[in-house]
Amino acid sequence: MIRIRGVTKDYDRRQILRGVDLSVDDGEMVFLTGPSGAGKTTLLRLLYAAERPTEGEIWVAGSRVDTLARSEQPQLRRKIGVIFQDFKLLRRKTVLENVTFVLRFHGIGQREAHRRAYQVLKRLGLHHRQSALPESLSGGEQQRVAIARALVYQPRLILADEPTGNLDADLASELLSLLCDINYQGATVVLATHDHALLESLPARTLVLRRGVIDYDGMWPP
Amino acid sequence: MIRHALAEGWLILRSRGPISPILALALAIPISLAGVTVSLRQWLEPVIDLSDRESVVAVLLHPRLDESQRRMWISEESRSHPDWKLVDVEPEELAARLASWFPYLEEVLQREGPQMLPHMVEITTRSPQSVLELKETTAVLAVGPTSSVNRVVGQVARRFSLVLLLVAGTLVSGAVLLAAVWVHLELHRNAEEIAIMRLMGATEATVRGPFFVAVVVPALLAAVISVVMTVVAVGWMAQLAAPLGLEARGALFVVLAGQVLGAVGLPMIAAFITLERHASNEES
Repeated sequence: MIRIRGVTKDYDRRQILRGVDLSVDDGEMVFLTGPSGAGKTTLLRLLYAAERPTEGEIWVAGSRVDTLARSEQPQLRRKIGVIFQDFKLLRRKTVLENVTFVLRFHGIGQREAHRRAYQVLKRLGLHHRQSALPESLSGGEQQRVAIARALVYQPRLILADEPTGNLDADLASELLSLLCDINYQGATVVLATHDHALLESLPARTLVLRRGVIDYDGMWPP
Repeated sequence: MIRHALAEGWLILRSRGPISPILALALAIPISLAGVTVSLRQWLEPVIDLSDRESVVAVLLHPRLDESQRRMWISEESRSHPDWKLVDVEPEELAARLASWFPYLEEVLQREGPQMLPHMVEITTRSPQSVLELKETTAVLAVGPTSSVNRVVGQVARRFSLVLLLVAGTLVSGAVLLAAVWVHLELHRNAEEIAIMRLMGATEATVRGPFFVAVVVPALLAAVISVVMTVVAVGWMAQLAAPLGLEARGALFVVLAGQVLGAVGLPMIAAFITLERHASNEES
């Protein structure tokens, strides 16, 4: 599903990633961890073509991402469900609209989109707030809307950037179980987190990123 | 995609409130003024034509020239100035003209006879100033006025129409600038939303559609306002021009069609360029 070869990313002469090599198979669940500033978010941004690497090759879901033309980016992004650290919700849209609007890009009709969105929101315990605007939600609720939006179109790959950062322990555990379910159904999940409790709650392949280099690649706890 | 563009475009328009009609009016004013200016030029065109008309310059020949010398002079000048048309005015005809222009001379002219008058030649030309060179020749006694009122009025009208065209061009440039600033601000206001849509897999057409709708609606409103304003203004000008015997050359609907195209097309072009630049900047 993901193949990265010799990827380097520089920002203003500062090297964030240094020759990263990585391979993630279809249906794998992978944790990406490391201290703040280690390059976790940058690595995820490279995977959904929000950035281009300075050097190296990136392949995601059969597409070469590092040289992907602008016109081909939507096609790639529709295969990926991204849960953003800062939620990235549309401020002027309700919870339900935030979840359904992505289904429009997949050519799904309004009635079916509402049905699917309601199901996902119900699973995340947010169906009673479907008419609320994001600004009236708590941080945890906004996080769950962002998660619902990433899951609603059942993508083949889920990239989650600190998805439990604003959730309490119970909700974090519920989210992890939801991602595990999705993973069991065949989706590949890459979850970036620095929450050790979360890592220890589920034995899975873990990549530790330190100073732009993958320092550890194996099961966690080691 | 069209439904998405219409729905989202309508949301953008609704969130703007009264700004859309104000923008439409702001766009309609320079476009209608440009239309009125072009129409005014259509009214001036018949007057401008006067500047191209031929002028007639009177040349008095020296009385010492006999008939054969006069004919030779006329044929020589005709040969050396092919653009001149020379007509020999007989003394009898000149006497008749003088008598009609200056009635108090009639008695003198009858008493002395037309033979006392010098021979006159009328030169018809598009460049009356060129006739002045004859002043230096010994055969010519005097050269008459080389400028005509028609010609001067025509030249003034031509310069005025050029000024009007410049004014129209400036107004249209102002409209383009206004449209570009308007779209740019709109895009800036919705930049975050656009970025999120792109990250979620929206195609460029999906992202741009609502903006085009949000631009086209006020642009259409601007087109209607500018057409109405121009029709009213031109109707008023026609009332003023009728007593002067002036008629517009060229159809008003051409100007109106140009205004509609300008009001809708300029913001669309501005929107296209701004969205394209925005997408390129985001990519880089």
